[in-house]
Amino acid sequence: MGQRRLLTLAGIAAFWAAVVLYHLISLQVFHHRYYVQLARQHQEVPIEVPAPRGTLFDRNGQTLAMSVPTESVYVNPLKLPDLGMAADLLGRVLHLDRAQLFATLKQAYDDHRGYLLIKHRVDFQEAENLRGLAFDWIGVQHESQRHYPKGDLAAHVLGGVDFSETGTSGVERALEQDLHGVPGEMRLVTDVKGRGIESQLAKPARPGAAITLTIDERIQFVAERELEAAVIEHHAFAGSLVAMNPQNGEVLAMASYPTYDPNQALQGNDPRRINHAVSLPFEPGSVFKVITLSAALETTDLKPDSPINCHGGAFTLPGRVIHDSHAGLGIIPMADVLARSSNSGAVEIGSHVGPENLYKYVRRFGFGQKTGIELKEENRGRVWPFNRWRKTSWASVSMGQEVGVTTLQLAQAAAVVANGGFLIHPHLVLKKNDKPVPVAPPVRILQPDNAILMRSMMEGVVVLPYGTGRRARLDGYSVGGKTGSAQIFDTQTKHYTHSYNGTFMGFAPLTNPALVVVVTLNGTHGEGGFGGVVAAPVFHAVASEALRVMEVPRDLPDDKPHTLVAVAANMDDLADPDRADTDNVLADDDDDAPDAQVAAPSGPTVPNFKGMNMRAVLAQAAEMGITVLPAGSGIARVQNPPAGTPLYEGERIRVQFVR
Amino acid sequence: MTRHLSLRDIDWTLLTIVLFICAVGVLQIYSATMGTSFHSAWWMQIVFVFLGLLLMWGLLATDYHTLLHYVPMLYAGSVIALLGTYLVGQAAFGSRRWIPLPGGFHLQVSEFVKLVIILLVARYLTELRTDDLEIWDMLKLACLVLVPGGLVLIQPDLGTSLTYIAVLVVGAFIAGLRWKYVAVIAVVAVVVLPVGYHFMKDYQKARLTSFLDPDRDPQGTGYQLIQSEIAVGHGGMWGKGVTGGTQTQLRFLPVPHKDFIFSAYAEEHGFVGVVIVLALYFVMIMRIVQNAQTAPDRVGMYICMGVAGLLLFHILVNVGMVADKMPVTGIPLPFMSAGGSSVCSMFMAVGLVNNVRLRRFVN
Repeated sequence: MGQRRLLTLAGIAAFWAAVVLYHLISLQVFHHRYYVQLARQHQEVPIEVPAPRGTLFDRNGQTLAMSVPTESVYVNPLKLPDLGMAADLLGRVLHLDRAQLFATLKQAYDDHRGYLLIKHRVDFQEAENLRGLAFDWIGVQHESQRHYPKGDLAAHVLGGVDFSETGTSGVERALEQDLHGVPGEMRLVTDVKGRGIESQLAKPARPGAAITLTIDERIQFVAERELEAAVIEHHAFAGSLVAMNPQNGEVLAMASYPTYDPNQALQGNDPRRINHAVSLPFEPGSVFKVITLSAALETTDLKPDSPINCHGGAFTLPGRVIHDSHAGLGIIPMADVLARSSNSGAVEIGSHVGPENLYKYVRRFGFGQKTGIELKEENRGRVWPFNRWRKTSWASVSMGQEVGVTTLQLAQAAAVVANGGFLIHPHLVLKKNDKPVPVAPPVRILQPDNAILMRSMMEGVVVLPYGTGRRARLDGYSVGGKTGSAQIFDTQTKHYTHSYNGTFMGFAPLTNPALVVVVTLNGTHGEGGFGGVVAAPVFHAVASEALRVMEVPRDLPDDKPHTLVAVAANMDDLADPDRADTDNVLADDDDDAPDAQVAAPSGPTVPNFKGMNMRAVLAQAAEMGITVLPAGSGIARVQNPPAGTPLYEGERIRVQFVR
Repeated sequence: MTRHLSLRDIDWTLLTIVLFICAVGVLQIYSATMGTSFHSAWWMQIVFVFLGLLLMWGLLATDYHTLLHYVPMLYAGSVIALLGTYLVGQAAFGSRRWIPLPGGFHLQVSEFVKLVIILLVARYLTELRTDDLEIWDMLKLACLVLVPGGLVLIQPDLGTSLTYIAVLVVGAFIAGLRWKYVAVIAVVAVVVLPVGYHFMKDYQKARLTSFLDPDRDPQGTGYQLIQSEIAVGHGGMWGKGVTGGTQTQLRFLPVPHKDFIFSAYAEEHGFVGVVIVLALYFVMIMRIVQNAQTAPDRVGMYICMGVAGLLLFHILVNVGMVADKMPVTGIPLPFMSAGGSSVCSMFMAVGLVNNVRLRRFVN
């Protein structure tokens, strides 16, 4: 035997073996990972595990929205053995109308659709019955359904979801990213015929974040109840209310009427879905004078006791005359311009402030910009850019015309006065997954002194016998506020109508406000429709309950009588449209009509505290039998009412001390 | 003469290795068929191994010279049996390879014909008594081999018929076929193969070519190759453990206890296991070659080398197929693949080697 032949043969075999071996190494060692991947691809079917949508809680942990698993039924119309039979069967089992079902099935069959959803949210029994049928053309799939256990409570805040549980409005829409969660993945290991052998949770579904809202269910409930009652009572077409913590911007209640039940499917354009608190800006009217006066304190040397010429109730501008709704007022302190809500007085103050500063402060107070609250429906309102202001725009803006604001923006503005001059950021989300949500830091926009002066002037609106907001008084709490009754401008006729947006914005307790409440009723009528009449009582009811719920300590004795000596009605309160002159578009503003009578001053005259220290002030006040509300420390610099004015029964004197 | 025979002279190393490989095979068959309708294949395999040992024993008793004497009859019997298979053989797996036996067994005649071919080639080449194989003698031998080979090919069973050719080629090469003839035959093969390819059935063509590009038709003929490749690659260095190979257990790998048993083995035992088994095969082949070298006569050497060539061809083609380097030809892995005919014929081949070895001191 040829040894060389054998070696040759061995060589050939060795080469062959080497090639095969090399390939085995390549497969098993070098490309092992790749083949593991490939094997996975072949053997494992990824199945999406839906993530449960996050639950919404109120600030006390009450559930406002939650998702519950349900089942829905679908068919494969192409596999139907017989349309009529299927319609009969499904109609009976699912309690659906046979004829309609038949038509739908027929349509789907004709369109060659392989999937048709028959019914959402079948109940347990129906689903069981269907499973019992076990036809291959019927399927039951798991779904999740959003449920709002409190019905229409906070409907506009919560919003709603569509059939696929995607938020369509409200917080549900704005926080969709957080609430939706991240679907997980299940890997179903299947054999070659696709039969599932075992499933492994490759990536667990990350449930949507549980969101704790700043809403307090109890305050929200009262807010909605009172708002609804007021809207109905005063024949308004809509109303809105915002209750907020002025220190940190937490919205405690946000109500809008008319309302709806988010559990029910609603057309997307249903007017009930409009959140009037943020979505539809309106002309604020007199409440806006707070901004004008704040700007005046900041930019001019006007003080609450500075005399303001009200021009006898008719302020003549180039081309137009501003009328007061009251009988002619002469020269009154600035604080009274606010308390009496004099239009001509506000315009006079506005003239001191000047258009630039007025514009600046309107913007600083957050008007014309979104507050950034977690609601995509939010409207930024309307403030004309300064270069588009007309010659008399400053006058209109001074008394709350030519601007569009939302109830929420008013609450934000009122909070500035209440918290000592900070623009805070209203928000609805307290915690995400039990982690507090950081809030942008507040911005100082008013000097603390000026904010405190504004507070005391706003207290006058409520406390003074001729104040327009007397109905907002609270038992046991000092209150500051402002009324507004803006005539609704009819864009068709270019005239202001006799229907009003009645507003009240207020806060309590005065020295360290824990609550801001702004109430707006849209489309009230006649003199009974003024903010002081329609909105202030709502404030009273809601603020009383909210302060009680929040356990805010009372700062006034309970038995403090609020009765005032009646005086003759003084105000026809409103700019008479008939008297409106040349400028129709800017016909005059209303004012707020206190229906009660103004009492004559009956108490002692206010002494001049200025320059005294606190101890001396309190001693003198005690001697005279009057109540002083001191603020700050050091030397008394500012007091309200000013020295020399007679005091009304029960009226208190605010004294600001400055070092 | 038989008095001088001693059990001591049996190649115990070879037998041990073979039995060890059989044990690995049984374990792999058990793992691969667990939970399938073939779940009893592992103990059937054990029965076949014992049957194979018996047949081997029986074969030892008869001097291989006597066996060579009967080659014409064996050859004629083989051709008749193959014809019979073709006529009565039942169609299974798309080919007529089996004769049904009582008890639900099937006899694959072509497996046993391999032994006849080995004996035929050994006797023919020995009787030429030359160190230079002439081309005409070579062609005559080729014709003799091609008759049963053709009958197997039309069953159709390309793989088995190729094993006959392999025995022929190894024999002819050792017999001293001149290099120029080797070259001529190679050239002719290159020319003839495309023609033969033309006459092949579609599935055979697809099988032969799909290894070049298994992704071309992944659900069809490339399927087995891809799944096998994945299984082997999935095994990695240490394997997934017995019954742990998902490609195998989830039945992505088709018939993992027969032709593709090595894929299943590679997946469950990894590259380390593969190297161990291939090393065992290597030692086995080397033992047989050594037996060829110590053979008492030329015909004994041819017999041993025929067996070695046959086994080597089986191993290289099967493992190459599993590793996606060879066409799918349907060749079992000796001693591992489940199948009675294969196991018995392979043991008989080992029996032939031992038959030669037992009589090495006769002269």
